[in-house]
Amino acid sequence: MTARYWWGEIDEDGTCRPAPTDEAEALARLGSLESPMDGTVPGTWEAAVACGVVPDRAAYLARLHDLAMRLAADRVAEALRGPDLELLRMVRTLDELDGVINLLTERAVEWYATQDPGFSRKFRAVPARRLVQVLLPRARGPLRSVLLQIEALGAARTDLAREVTRAAFRVMPNSSGLVGGLVAARLMAAAGSLDALARLPASGLQVLGARSALFSHIRTGTPPPKHGLIFQHRRVHNAPPAVRGRVARVLASRLAIAARIDRYRGTPDPAFIEAANARIDGVLA
Amino acid sequence: MIWRDGTLLSPGEGSVYGERTRGGLRVWDPRRSKFAALAHLDPGFDLPPGTRVLYLGAANGTTVSHVADYAEVVYAVEFAPRPMQDLLAVARRRKNIIPILADAGRPGRYAPLLEPVDLLFQDVAQPNQAAIAVRNRPFLVPGGRLALMLKVRSIDQRRPQDEVGQEAVGVLEEGGYAVDSVRSLSPYHRDHLAIQGRRVD
Repeated sequence: MTARYWWGEIDEDGTCRPAPTDEAEALARLGSLESPMDGTVPGTWEAAVACGVVPDRAAYLARLHDLAMRLAADRVAEALRGPDLELLRMVRTLDELDGVINLLTERAVEWYATQDPGFSRKFRAVPARRLVQVLLPRARGPLRSVLLQIEALGAARTDLAREVTRAAFRVMPNSSGLVGGLVAARLMAAAGSLDALARLPASGLQVLGARSALFSHIRTGTPPPKHGLIFQHRRVHNAPPAVRGRVARVLASRLAIAARIDRYRGTPDPAFIEAANARIDGVLA
Repeated sequence: MIWRDGTLLSPGEGSVYGERTRGGLRVWDPRRSKFAALAHLDPGFDLPPGTRVLYLGAANGTTVSHVADYAEVVYAVEFAPRPMQDLLAVARRRKNIIPILADAGRPGRYAPLLEPVDLLFQDVAQPNQAAIAVRNRPFLVPGGRLALMLKVRSIDQRRPQDEVGQEAVGVLEEGGYAVDSVRSLSPYHRDHLAIQGRRVD
């Protein structure tokens, strides 16, 4: 059998052929090279010199270094290129922003309460994100700057959420068509990648994001979770409690198909989306 | 290896990751590097000049940069693309590091790049760490050294350290290694065993 090394090949009878000197060709050859891990492994630098590929060990190492650097850089670029990776980073940033905004708002309200002893949130139907605007005209000094920062973060969050939705409809059009871009992107982020999402069974998709409930069910026999992240989709959380579990299950089963179309075809399938949506709405009817 | 007042140093261009230097030499912290911890705990452990090293689980290249200060050449295998970006930055300045983005459990994929090595250093967080060391045994010269940093908690969360260690030793001896010593890396690293051995034929 022919032994193949990065610098060339040696046939069984001892004749050797140097690898192509053109870098692109050499890299393409290396990318597909796989050794059977038999007696021909590993090669030696002396063999490369004997074959006339390089004059000495220093040159052997220098060329190997250059080639390995290029090969590794190409593989890194390839691994980081997937469009779902940027979406993943965007979703994680979005969730982080939510946490930061909530924490800071909480702090700012407590702080403001010391400046205005009569202040209480009770009996005011003010959502947390509007609270900042309520406090802003009354706050002074550094508290005011903090509130302004929270407001700016809120604006950034709105922008990002819109962009996540847009990107999700591009990267995973069918899943987004079923549950909207934001929830689809969150599901993908929870799975780790579009690839991982497409490999999940529907039952896994249904409880993705309900890890602690799921494990407490497995360990101690509490009731199993009916839904994880997909609860955020309106058809699940607006469903009457009696059918919520059924809606979640049917939705998850269609999502599992949608994720596979997204991963392996990548184009929207309007007929599928329509049929799947009709099936889900059928549970609610 | 270069020691000064109980501190392990390595000769090389600093500073790679913000490490301190002393007299122009880079301080090699045993708390950050299992390689350095092993050197601290085993007086017999050495990295003579001219050594050829296969390093599995190279990560960000922090320890690799020190190893490369001593060794002739380091074949640095890392599976994850993110740390590989950092490793590439290190290898750009140190020409004796050969970076390889590959799975240490599938040595056939990177075998064409390698040559026989004197030392196999392994620090990977996988449940089948011992089996990976066995699969990479063909790269060692006969009698070549193995230093396996066994991450006990990657193998089993609950079983006692010694039990997991004994099992790994069994796999190694089955796979063509003679195990010379097993020692804990505490107090520098928790739940880590350093298994040292040799390839026997």
